[in-house]
Amino acid sequence: MKKILLTLICLMFLAAPAMAAKGKVRIAYVEWDCATASTMTAKAALEQMGYEVETLPVAAAAMWQALGTGDVDAMVTAWLPVTHADYYEKVKDKVEKVSVVSGGAKLGWAVPAYVTIDSIEELNANADKFNGKIIGIDPGAGLMKLSEQAMADYGLNKLELMEGSGATMTAALDTAIKNKDWVVVTAWSPHWMFGKWDLKYLKDPKGVLGAEEKIEAIVRKGLKEDMPEVHAFFSNFKWDSPAQLQMVMAWNQEGGTPEENAKRFLKEHPDTVKGWMGK
Amino acid sequence: MNDFRLPVGESIESGIDFLVEHLSFITKASAAIIETVLGAMESGLLLVPIPVFIVLAAAGVWLLTRDRRLTLGSVLGLALIWNMGLWAATVSTLALVLVSTLCAIALGVPLGILAAINTRMYQAVMPVLDVMQTMPAFVYLIPAIPFFGLGKTAAIFSTVVFSMPPAIRFTCLGIRQIPAELVECSTAFGATRMQRLMKLDLPLAAPTIMAGVNQTVMLALSMVVIASMIGAKGLGGEVWKAIQRLQMGRGFEAGIAIVIVAMILDRVLQKLGTRKDT
Repeated sequence: MKKILLTLICLMFLAAPAMAAKGKVRIAYVEWDCATASTMTAKAALEQMGYEVETLPVAAAAMWQALGTGDVDAMVTAWLPVTHADYYEKVKDKVEKVSVVSGGAKLGWAVPAYVTIDSIEELNANADKFNGKIIGIDPGAGLMKLSEQAMADYGLNKLELMEGSGATMTAALDTAIKNKDWVVVTAWSPHWMFGKWDLKYLKDPKGVLGAEEKIEAIVRKGLKEDMPEVHAFFSNFKWDSPAQLQMVMAWNQEGGTPEENAKRFLKEHPDTVKGWMGK
Repeated sequence: MNDFRLPVGESIESGIDFLVEHLSFITKASAAIIETVLGAMESGLLLVPIPVFIVLAAAGVWLLTRDRRLTLGSVLGLALIWNMGLWAATVSTLALVLVSTLCAIALGVPLGILAAINTRMYQAVMPVLDVMQTMPAFVYLIPAIPFFGLGKTAAIFSTVVFSMPPAIRFTCLGIRQIPAELVECSTAFGATRMQRLMKLDLPLAAPTIMAGVNQTVMLALSMVVIASMIGAKGLGGEVWKAIQRLQMGRGFEAGIAIVIVAMILDRVLQKLGTRKDT
């Protein structure tokens, strides 16, 4: 019976071609805290402009793929030129970079503050203290590529780069800090781990990991024609400073939903938001 | 050995690109329909006030199973989900699992019957099932995006692929295990193939088929976290979000909610399978 009903419903929708609601914007993002802060703020601002906004939390590869196929309109969390280089390379003819949302992003290897070495060059000599492991993240990430490069350049033959994910990396860090063990992780900022624990980046004298990253807003090709106002919004969408983004991220860590905190930002920083809306 | 590499990956990729070019308008359209249906289902289920929903669910469990402990457990389990603030996510996951399971059964049971009565079909289907069950879902999750877009449809697609095999296998098994004497008997009395299927095979195979359906539901539930990586949201999304943010407690809460839903569905379906009048 249910099946028959479902079929009927399906047929009904087939008969009436599904009309997309006018002015619906789809934004894909990954549940990283910087991405959540930016995405929810963009959502709140677009809603203020009268658009219906759908935010889709997905995996990084899925986010890029969806933008490349035009399934979503935009994302405000592309880490370029390094972290997402592979993803960007795949879809670059089908997307358009429109704005640098925040500069000052950084990649590197981090250790808890109680670890008494300061440079990547000292890692090999202390390999046994670190259990011979460097805790990495998703194998597809640009950070991992750079980390492999660093392993080669610094000749770290006594350590192994472990693959995992952002979540397993922070979990390993958490455990090590609880036990006061030495641990080294592949890290990036802005990231909440720097707020939660006292960490330091290891010096990278060869500058293998040291390029500064930017967080960019990217839209699908054709958005300009379909929704010029939305395109203009994303072109203007940027935080006043990395500190401003960190502030909203800190709010999200303290409590309240990211949606509520985004609305709070809109209320407290009307001038910034006016700039996004091109007023 | 590496001088000549078979272009396995390349051919698959170009094959997918070809399909995207020529088929995606159909799959995109069906995706829009499925999302609308799912959305309607979800908002319909959410319209029901939660206490009413729990009472109705308990009544349903009672009518289907007549099991006092299970009914009480369902009430407590659903109340716990409500209390943990995961109601909307649970409803979303439930809708997803129900639609996926219905699709899997609607496709799987007929295929299983075909495979049972036709040897050639059987030989063709079985290796395909092996692929469906063992090919890691991650492999086709991302390629599914151009076809279905982000969101629930792609999730349903991968869930159906993953959870359909047991429905096919068990149906096939149930029918093939009918005692030869009974089959001879029905033939002796002049039953046509169709009559034999309807009056002998399916009724006798029903418990096995229901066991297959049960497995399908369970596998569908085990896919929810993977499906959330392409925007399925729901309980799987809650788990994934929590894990990415290292909120272990929250992750377990959502995990427990999945377990509760799974246990209720499992016990009810088991009871249905063992009753004579399925």
